[in-house]
Amino acid sequence: MTDINDATGQQTATRVSDPTPVLPRTGPLMIAMRNVSKSYVTEKPALNDVNVEIGSGEFVFIVGHSGSGKSTFIRLLLRELTPSRGQIIVAGQDLAKMKNWKVPYLRRNIGCVFQDFKLLPNKTSFENVAFALEVIGKSKHVIRTQVPEVLRLVGLEDKIDNYPDELSGGEQQRVSIARAFVNRPPLLLCDEPTGNLDPQTSLGIMKLLERINKTGTTVLIATHDREMVDNMRRRVIALEGGRIIRDQDRGVYGYVD
Amino acid sequence: MSINVGYFVRESIQNFRRNWVMTLGAVITIYLSLLLVGVFLVTGVLVNSVVKSVEDKVTIQIFLKDGAATDDVNALQKNLLANTLVQGVEYTSKDKALEQFKEDMKQSPEIIDQLEGNPLPASLDVTLKDPRTVEEMVAAIKIDPLFTKVADRPDNPEESLKYGQQVVKKLFAFTRVIRTLEIAFVAMLAAVSLIFINNTIRLAIYARRKEIGIMRLVGASNWFIRTPFLLEGVLQSLIGATLAIISIVGLQAAIMPRLGEALPFLPVGMDTAATAQIAGVLILAGVFIGLLGSGFALRRYLKV
Repeated sequence: MTDINDATGQQTATRVSDPTPVLPRTGPLMIAMRNVSKSYVTEKPALNDVNVEIGSGEFVFIVGHSGSGKSTFIRLLLRELTPSRGQIIVAGQDLAKMKNWKVPYLRRNIGCVFQDFKLLPNKTSFENVAFALEVIGKSKHVIRTQVPEVLRLVGLEDKIDNYPDELSGGEQQRVSIARAFVNRPPLLLCDEPTGNLDPQTSLGIMKLLERINKTGTTVLIATHDREMVDNMRRRVIALEGGRIIRDQDRGVYGYVD
Repeated sequence: MSINVGYFVRESIQNFRRNWVMTLGAVITIYLSLLLVGVFLVTGVLVNSVVKSVEDKVTIQIFLKDGAATDDVNALQKNLLANTLVQGVEYTSKDKALEQFKEDMKQSPEIIDQLEGNPLPASLDVTLKDPRTVEEMVAAIKIDPLFTKVADRPDNPEESLKYGQQVVKKLFAFTRVIRTLEIAFVAMLAAVSLIFINNTIRLAIYARRKEIGIMRLVGASNWFIRTPFLLEGVLQSLIGATLAIISIVGLQAAIMPRLGEALPFLPVGMDTAATAQIAGVLILAGVFIGLLGSGFALRRYLKV
């Protein structure tokens, strides 16, 4: 795994005045969307002709109001939805053409973190993380070595046998990040990871995600946490009404809400 | 990919413990359904044995004229035995017929007293392999030249043959209805069990929807998610079937002797082979219903 943080740093922030700007990437791509639209029945399209390229190892924020298409964006990448039009490539695989039975194998390459943590209340931290490995058929040996390691990485080595209701919100989110990352996926998707947390805790979570990014994992964060985005100064893709209205390196949140 | 068998076993047992109320409900439902199916099967076997014994009483009596040549009668008997439909042929002499008649009429001795000599004819009694072929056999007998030669009244062959013409037709129509009803009832009960299991598995899926959501997110394969539910469905069915079999054997032991006492004229009885067969059917039906019911539920409620 290479530390490509320098590479992203070198990339120049190109503002394109085009209505759907595309920041061109130089290295290998993790995500490519070409002319992607998604319409649900009767309503206006949730995503409208979206073009985006995200390189391997990038750290990207997706920002936008509720209903701007953020969730649809994430769900398309997970192939919980298929696009109405256009092409989506994730980790070299064309999602529109992907057979249903192959979807689980795609998801093993994508870690997921959510606002509500999605932890199982009757399992300890260890068991929650181990669950992710068990259900993809990893051996006991792998589980016994990898789970404590990843829990150490997220800073929960002393909360290994605690149940979720014995943990704070930030700690629960760390467990869920550990679960998403234990399989070392090349892509980590986070849907409002700090939505339920106070600013201090949120900062810790962001630092953790940054650390994970430094191991070479592409990190994509959908958020409307203005302070966080402005502090981090990373690439920002702004969505509004299903279109990309802004895509810049070292960006800021930029909305007045 | 290696499949962790321990995982499935642990999950199933854990799930059994956690959702034991629901599991109990499912087991009881399957148990009752299969018990009903089993009772119907047992009843079916009993009715069948009664019906069969009645059917077996369908014989063709050929009345012989007095003084028919013994050679001709023997030849006719040989002809009949050569026919593939025929089970056996028995000769009843005039004396034996009279004896039988007297035995039958014991209740009204005045009729016997009025008899002068022996008016009863000798007869050949033909039993058939399959009683339903009686009409066919009668037709075959009628065209046999030996029959015309020895028949009691060769001018009127209908009068020389007795096989309960009308009774036979009604009996067979009746037994056909009974058998169709049996099949319809069993099919209906199977459908009810399917719906119940479908429902239970749906509840089990609902109770575990959070877990399933996470499994899907982290990339568990569809079969990995389905297998515990299928196993659960089959396990519940097997327990239900076992309980049903135990109950049926118990009921049989308790009721059959009394039934035999109460209805001595009916040849009701079941051998162990039939019971074992019913047990096998119940187990197979249980597993089949469990798989099918959970399969349906999974297809509809587990969009994996």
